[in-house]
Amino acid sequence: MQLASRLSLLVVVICAGVAPLRGQDRSAAAYNERRQAMVDLIERRGVRDSATLSAMRVLPRHEFVPASQRSRAYGDYPLPIGHGQTISQPYIVAYMTEILQPKPGMKLLEIGTGSGYQAAVLAQIGCEVYSVEIFEALATSARQRFDRLALAVTSRHGDGHHGWSDAAPFDAVIVTAAAGYIPPALVAQLKPGGRMVIPVGSVYGVQNLILVEKDPDGNIRTRNLLPVRFVPMLSGIR
Amino acid sequence: MQRVTRPLAVALISAGTLSFEILLVRVFAIEYFYHFAYMAIGVAMLGLGVSGAAVALMPSISRSTAGRWFTVACGLTVVALVVTPTLVLRISLDPTQLIWDPIQWLRLGALYLLLALPFGLGALATTLALTLTTRPGRIYGAGFLGSGVGVAGAVGSLWILSPEHVLALPALLASAGLLVAVLGTRDNTKARILASGMVAVTAVLLALPPWHITVSPYKGLPQVEAYPDARRTADMSSPLGWTVAVEASAFRHAPGLSLAYQGQLPRQTAIFVDGSIAGATASSESAAESEFYDWLPTALPYSIAQPGQVLIVGSSGDTEIRNALAHGVSRITAVELNPDIMRLALTEESLRAENDGQLEWIVADARSYITRTRRSFDLISLAPAAGFGIVAAGVHGLSEDFLHTTDAYTTYLERLTGQGMLAITRWIRTPPRESIRVILTAVEALRQVRPENVTTGLVVARSWGTVTVLVKPAGFTEQEITQLREWATPRLFDLDWFPGIREPGTVFNQLDEPTLFRAAQAAIGGVDSSARFAAGYSFNVKPVGDAQPYPHHFLRLGSLPNLFGEDRGSWLPFAEWGLIALVATLVQSTLLAGLFILMPVVLFRGALLQRRWFTSVGYFGAIGLAYMAAEIAAIQQLSLLLGHPVYAVAVVLVAVRVFSGVGSTLSDRLNSVNTWLIGIALVVLLAVLGLALLPVVHLLQPTPMAVRAGVATLLLAPVALLMGLPFPMGLRLLTAGHRTGIAWAWAANGFASVVAVPLAALIALEIGSPALFFVAAGGYGVATLLSTLPALAGTAEPREYP
Repeated sequence: MQLASRLSLLVVVICAGVAPLRGQDRSAAAYNERRQAMVDLIERRGVRDSATLSAMRVLPRHEFVPASQRSRAYGDYPLPIGHGQTISQPYIVAYMTEILQPKPGMKLLEIGTGSGYQAAVLAQIGCEVYSVEIFEALATSARQRFDRLALAVTSRHGDGHHGWSDAAPFDAVIVTAAAGYIPPALVAQLKPGGRMVIPVGSVYGVQNLILVEKDPDGNIRTRNLLPVRFVPMLSGIR
Repeated sequence: MQRVTRPLAVALISAGTLSFEILLVRVFAIEYFYHFAYMAIGVAMLGLGVSGAAVALMPSISRSTAGRWFTVACGLTVVALVVTPTLVLRISLDPTQLIWDPIQWLRLGALYLLLALPFGLGALATTLALTLTTRPGRIYGAGFLGSGVGVAGAVGSLWILSPEHVLALPALLASAGLLVAVLGTRDNTKARILASGMVAVTAVLLALPPWHITVSPYKGLPQVEAYPDARRTADMSSPLGWTVAVEASAFRHAPGLSLAYQGQLPRQTAIFVDGSIAGATASSESAAESEFYDWLPTALPYSIAQPGQVLIVGSSGDTEIRNALAHGVSRITAVELNPDIMRLALTEESLRAENDGQLEWIVADARSYITRTRRSFDLISLAPAAGFGIVAAGVHGLSEDFLHTTDAYTTYLERLTGQGMLAITRWIRTPPRESIRVILTAVEALRQVRPENVTTGLVVARSWGTVTVLVKPAGFTEQEITQLREWATPRLFDLDWFPGIREPGTVFNQLDEPTLFRAAQAAIGGVDSSARFAAGYSFNVKPVGDAQPYPHHFLRLGSLPNLFGEDRGSWLPFAEWGLIALVATLVQSTLLAGLFILMPVVLFRGALLQRRWFTSVGYFGAIGLAYMAAEIAAIQQLSLLLGHPVYAVAVVLVAVRVFSGVGSTLSDRLNSVNTWLIGIALVVLLAVLGLALLPVVHLLQPTPMAVRAGVATLLLAPVALLMGLPFPMGLRLLTAGHRTGIAWAWAANGFASVVAVPLAALIALEIGSPALFFVAAGGYGVATLLSTLPALAGTAEPREYP
C-alpha cells in the first residue's frame, strides 16, 4: 500500500506536467527542502516515531493548503483552509499520530477531515483510514485530493459525534477538532486494546488533549496530555 | 444664551462619547471577549488626550472662529459616532491569529484609529468650549455631569433594547448636543435644519441600526447555530449580558460526564451569554433520562446523603436543578444573578417543582443572598458555569469573581447545617491550577470555620475533565467514604483525596504528577505547608480574598518574559490570554499615547521640555493616574457590594463623574493657591477608602440593593467632588495661562490617563484594589507636593486662567 501510494504520487507529479517542467522541478525541490526542515524541527521537538516522520517527509503538505497559503505550508503553525477551519500545526499532527502508535493495516477513524492532511499521514503509514467531515465543501475537496494523490482514505460528509458505526470497531480514533465532551459513540466504537486521542474544549486558546485507552478487557483509562490548539469539532452539518 | 447652551452642548456630547465607551465594552464582550474592555477604555482615553494636546497646540484663534469650530466639532462627533460603529463592526479582526497573520495587525490598527475618532472629536468640542470661557470649571463640570448621565443612559437602555440598537444612543445624544450648540449661535437657519435633521436620523438609527454585531466564530453560539436543525428560541438583553437560547438536536452539555455512561443524553437547549456557553436546560420529555444526571461529577455529594435543603449557586440553566430533583431533594434554592437565565430555566419541570414548593428561585448575587438569609443548607453546590475552552484559555483571568474567594468559601461553610456539605466542581486544566486553588481555598476556609475537622472534612474527586471538591465541616465518616468510592468507581472517577488516604490512588484518569493529592496533603498539613506548596508551584495558586478577587488568574507576571522567550509549543500550556491582552494593551497604550500625545507637544512646543514646565507635567500626570486608579479601585470593590461589575461600573462612573462635575463647577469659585489643601484632603480620603471600604462592603452586603447603591454613591460623593477640582485649579495655578504650559498639562494628563487604565488593572490583579486606592492617594500626594513648588521656587506666579 505504501509503495503503491508513493508510485501514485510519482504518477500524479508526472501527469500534472503540463506546466513548464523546469519551474515545477525547482519548486518541487524547494518544497521538499522546506518539508525536510519542517520534519527535522518536529523531530528535534521530541517526536520519535519513524513511521510518522517518514510519512511527513514524503507528503506534499503544500497540496493540502489553499494556493494563497502554499508559501507558508511548511511552517510549524496552523493555516486557514476556509470555512473558518484550519490545517493543524505540523508538530501537533506528528504528536497525535505518534500517540496513536499507528501501524500498517490498522483501522482508524478520523473525526474532522479538514483538508485531509492528518488522514493522509495515517494513510501514508499504511493504515486503513475512515474520515468524517462536517463541512460538505471541505469533505468534497478532501475526497478529490485523496483521489488525486491516490491515498487510501475512505471519507464522507457527516456528523462526527456519531462516529462511523458501519465501519466500527476501530483500532484507533483520532479527533482533530475540539469537542465539548467525549462522545460516548466514539468510546463505544473503539476496539478493546484501542486508543483514542481527542482534544476537549473550545478553540480559543488551549485545550486538553486527552488519550482514552480501552484495555483488552474493555476497561477505559484516560490521560491528560499536552494542551493544544485546534479548530472546533462542529456537530451537525453547516 | 451661550452661557447655558455651550455647557449643555458639552454635557450632551460627553454623554454621547461616554455612553459609547460603555457600549463598546458590551459590544467587545460579545464580539470578542471581556478583556477587550480595557482596549475600549484605553482608546477612549487616547482620543481625549490627543484632542486636548492638539487644541493646546493650535495657533491662537479668535473667539468667533473657535465658536464655529466648536459647532463643527460637535457635528463631526455625531458623524463619527455613526461612522465608527458602522465600519468597526465590519472589520473582521481575529485576535487569535495576530501571531501568524500580519493582516490582523492592519485590521487592529484600523480598529484603533476608528475607535479613537469619536472620542477625539468629542474631546475637541469640550476643549474648544474651554477656550471660549473665562470659567473653565463650568465646562469641565458640564462634561463630567454629561458623562455621568451618558453612563446611566447606556446601562439603563440595555434593559430595554439590544446592544445593537442601543449603539445608536450615543449619536442621538451627541446630535442633541449639536442642536443645542447650534441654537446657541446667532440665527443660522441652515445649521439648525441640518442639526435637527441629524437628530431625526440618529433617532431612526436607534430603531433601524445600520450595523450588525457578529459574534466571534470561536465562541459557542455560532458553532451551535450552525447545527442542521438549530433554532434560536430566545434572545434577551440586559446590562448583565446578551442571553440567547438555541435548540439543536446535536447540542450536548455534559461537563465531565462519565465515560462509562451508556444511556441517552437528554435533549437540551443551549444557553449563551455574550455568545459563550453559560449552561443548558433540558426539555420536559427527556425527564425519563434522569439517570443521566447521576453520571455527572456534580452528583457526587448525592452519593452519600439525600440532602433536604440544597442551595445552587449560579444555576447556569436547569442542569443542577434537575440533578437535585433526580436525587429526591425536597427543597432547592437556586440563586441566579441574571434574570434572563432564570427565565430560560423556567421549564415545565422546574415550574412544576416551583409550584410544589420544591424549588425557589432567587434573582440576586449569591454573596449578598447568602449573607442575608437566615436559612441553613444541607448542600451548597457550585457547578462549572462556563465551557471548558473559556476556562482553559484563561479568558476569565481578568474577571472579578467573588464566588471563589476565601471569604466566600467561609461564608458558604457557615451556612451549612450540622452534616452539611459544600461541593465545588471546576474544569481541570493541564497542568492543574484552578482545581489546586479551589483545594487550598476550601481547606483554608474549613480551617477558619472548623479547625478541628480539617483532616476529616475534605474529599477531592476527578473525572476525565473536572475536579469536584467536597468540604464537610462535621467531617466525613468511614461509611461515607465507602459510599463515595462505591459510587465513583463504576463511573471511572478517581478519588484524589479523602480522609485516611495514604498515597495517590489514581486509577482511571492519569495525571503526569499526583498534584491534586499533594495540594490536598499540603493544605491539610497546615497554613505553612499550604503556603509553601503554593509558593513552590509553577502557577500562582495561592487562595485569594475579596481584596484581590481574581481566582482565575494564575500566571505569574514575572514569568511572562521567560514565557515569550520559549518556543510557542512550550508556552502554550501556560498562556493566560486575559493577562497577555492586558500587558499588550499597556505596551500598546504607552506607545500610542507617547506617539500621539507627547510627541506632538515635543515637536510643536520645542524639542525639549522646558524646565519651568517640569512641575506642570508631573502634576497633571500624577492626577491623571490617580483619578483612573481611584475609579478602577472603587469599581472593583463595589462589584462585591452591588453584585456585578456592570452595576458597579454604572454606580461608580455616574457618582464619580457627576460629583466630579459638581466639583469642577465649584472650582471657579475657589482660589487656586489653595490647590494643595484639596490634594491633602484627597490623600486622606483615598487612604481611608483603601483601609475601610472593603469592611464597609462586607457590612452592607445583607442590605437591599437600593440601600447598597445609595450608600455606595454617598461613600464616593465627597472624594469624587474633590477629584473634580485639581485639574481646573491646577491649570490656573501652574500654567499661568501660558499656551506651552497648557499643552504640556493636557499631554501629561492624557498620557497618564491612557497608561493608567491597563496599569491600574494590572496593579489590582497583582496586588489588590486596596493598594490601588493607595496608589491614587500617592498620586494626589505627589501632585500636592508639586502644586506648592511654583510658589516656593517662584518660577511661575499664580495667574487666573486663561
